[in-house]
Amino acid sequence: MNDEMEEITLEFITEAEESLDKIEPRFVELEQKGQDTDLINDIFRSMHTIKGAAGFLGFQLIVDVAHSAENIMKKLRDQEITLSKPLMDVILKAIDMLRLLLNHLKEKDGIIEDVSPLVQELGNALKAAISGAPDTAPSEQIEQSDAPVAQALKEPEASKTISAKITAEKSPDTAVKPDEASQKTSKAPETTQITAATPQIPEVSKAPRSPDNGTAKNTETAQAATEGEPKPNEMIQAAKDSIQKAQNLRVDVNRIDKVMDLTGEVVLVRNRLLNISNYFDMKYTDDQMTEILMEAVSFLDRITSDMQLAVMKMRMQPIQKIFSKFPRLVRDISSSVNKDVELQIFGEGTEVDKTVIENIGDPMTHILRNSIDHGIESSEERIAKGKPPKGKIIISTYQRGTQIVIEIKDDGGGMDVNKLKRKAIEKGLLTEEEAQKMPDKEAIDIIFLPGFSTKETATQLSGRGVGMDVVKTNISLLNGYVEVSTEKDAGTTFKIIIPLTLAIIQALMVEVNGAKYAIPLAPIEETLKVSKKDITNITGQNVIVIRDKICPLFDLSSFLGLDTNGSEDLDYKYVIVILMGDKRFCVAVDKLVGQEEVVIKILNGLDTTSSFVLGATITGDGKVVFILDVSSMSRNLMDLTKA
Amino acid sequence: MPDLKMKILVVDDFSTMRRIVKNLLKQLGYDNIEEAEDGAQAYSKLKNGGFSFVVSDWNMPNMDGLDLLKKVRSDPELKNLPILMVTAEAEKEKVVTAIQAGVNNYIVKPFTGETLKEKMDKVFERLAAQK
Repeated sequence: MNDEMEEITLEFITEAEESLDKIEPRFVELEQKGQDTDLINDIFRSMHTIKGAAGFLGFQLIVDVAHSAENIMKKLRDQEITLSKPLMDVILKAIDMLRLLLNHLKEKDGIIEDVSPLVQELGNALKAAISGAPDTAPSEQIEQSDAPVAQALKEPEASKTISAKITAEKSPDTAVKPDEASQKTSKAPETTQITAATPQIPEVSKAPRSPDNGTAKNTETAQAATEGEPKPNEMIQAAKDSIQKAQNLRVDVNRIDKVMDLTGEVVLVRNRLLNISNYFDMKYTDDQMTEILMEAVSFLDRITSDMQLAVMKMRMQPIQKIFSKFPRLVRDISSSVNKDVELQIFGEGTEVDKTVIENIGDPMTHILRNSIDHGIESSEERIAKGKPPKGKIIISTYQRGTQIVIEIKDDGGGMDVNKLKRKAIEKGLLTEEEAQKMPDKEAIDIIFLPGFSTKETATQLSGRGVGMDVVKTNISLLNGYVEVSTEKDAGTTFKIIIPLTLAIIQALMVEVNGAKYAIPLAPIEETLKVSKKDITNITGQNVIVIRDKICPLFDLSSFLGLDTNGSEDLDYKYVIVILMGDKRFCVAVDKLVGQEEVVIKILNGLDTTSSFVLGATITGDGKVVFILDVSSMSRNLMDLTKA
Repeated sequence: MPDLKMKILVVDDFSTMRRIVKNLLKQLGYDNIEEAEDGAQAYSKLKNGGFSFVVSDWNMPNMDGLDLLKKVRSDPELKNLPILMVTAEAEKEKVVTAIQAGVNNYIVKPFTGETLKEKMDKVFERLAAQK
């Protein structure tokens, strides 16, 4: 029974946290939309449910906080009070406290928070809202809600219904309960306002229900309609969702990771078996057993690939998990620097690996902070530039081949390349000469240099000693890279590109100085065999011309700090063309061995940036081979050119 | 004495709550229990038949407990199915609505196994008396 209690508690923590994650962005939505019955109901319900379950489990502090917040939500739902910023702030505080309390439960740290000041604050906020309500709230609502009754009664034509339906979806906040509307009319005598109110929006509350109900179903929706409940098509969708949810199974992450690990091992063994069977195939071509062996191994090969994919999918989660925190974040940051910023999110259903979910939050938060703090201008400045006063940040995510792309685009002031260069020179990160030679495209990457920050005085937000270099490091830990493009006064776009899976990658096996290395296949554009005479040297830099384009060429041996013993004498070189972001460069190797699926084993204590080694793997022939980190190679091309 | 083998449906949108209620029912000796996440899902499960008792939460998305209750009562196949409604606080006007809609009994969160047993016993006593 104790175990059972423990499990229930764990489930409660997870579920409550999920509920909070779900409702948090709704607050911001609510703030934008104003009094929206559906949104308020949602938030109310979550508070209510958390409170109920916490009551059973005896978590009194959670009950107290949730109860006070629920009280406010209830009054909002019943339209006894109207939403205000102070009210919103205090409810958000309550949510933070609930998170903290849940965290203490999770950590079992025994810390007891004093929630009474917050409960008091919630109570006071409610009182203040109630005493303030009669003056402001009803009169404001009458304007909106009286019209539907009058209007809908007057003009119940079909054409109106359609237009009303469209408006309904766009602005559900206007779906006021008709019965209440009429009640309010009788209470308040200011009837002159009725006709003045805009007619097409308020109609919503009555008109659109009937056609929808007819197609959707049954008697009970009539009840739903009068209560301003979700529209039937939404209900169907939601019902579908919940059916899907019901088929989910909660599994401890460690178990999945264990399966993932084992799958990795199986892949390695499969690779070895493929090698061995190839050997037998060559040696005993006509032997019947060899044939059977080949057949079995190729079957294993296929199955392993399928299994890998299946396990990979098990670890995939919609990126929404992280994105749901951003509306609140953007709200908090922008209000703390007195800027008006709107956040739009697209593609939140895109699925990414769990590790990505865990590690992408921080770098994205940092980029968002930067965009709001440095990118988006103040409203006055924006108006002066002829832009809309409200800044906009758009986050969009999509899958491109085997990669996930996350774009964070702001419509702020953009980066001033010359200013970046000047700053970098001042800080001793660049020399005058380097700065002059540096093309603008590369200069943007200055922001990623450690110890760089462009604002004269670092504000509380962006400047905390950690800079954009941390963003880059975090993302390269995910095998990804960041691209930045900027245009003065038009804004800046950060593009984060990460591979779908982190544990198993396709790699090109190459040989340098008799040793094998694996290079991730994703950034490789092509491989070429280049004759020595086609390699030209321009101001100390080897280059080759590929289809009329000049491409810098580096020896892999010099990247790795190896001697170039003998390879210089060869008449031709094998060249790998790598495209990293918009940087294209070539790497020369002695031999191309072939393509192999490799399982990345992280090497502890190895600095990937300076060694250019991402990790190691065990190849089909049972040898340990280093996997090279192409993204850190591409970042260090400049150093190499200098050397 | 109610039949411990009877099939019971626990309806709540919060899975922890379903688990808690299920546990309490198991403590009372019932082990033929199914779950539903909201009124809509509950209704379709009930329509498939075989259920003898429903413990339903009130406040749920899609279709709340009261709507489920009304729907069941207006369904000729299900109208006699006993339903126990779980509410968070004893809100009088709410309970009255539920009783008018034909709920068999209600229980206030948080409750113990004992209270649940009392309520269930009462429901079944009354049903037996009606027959």
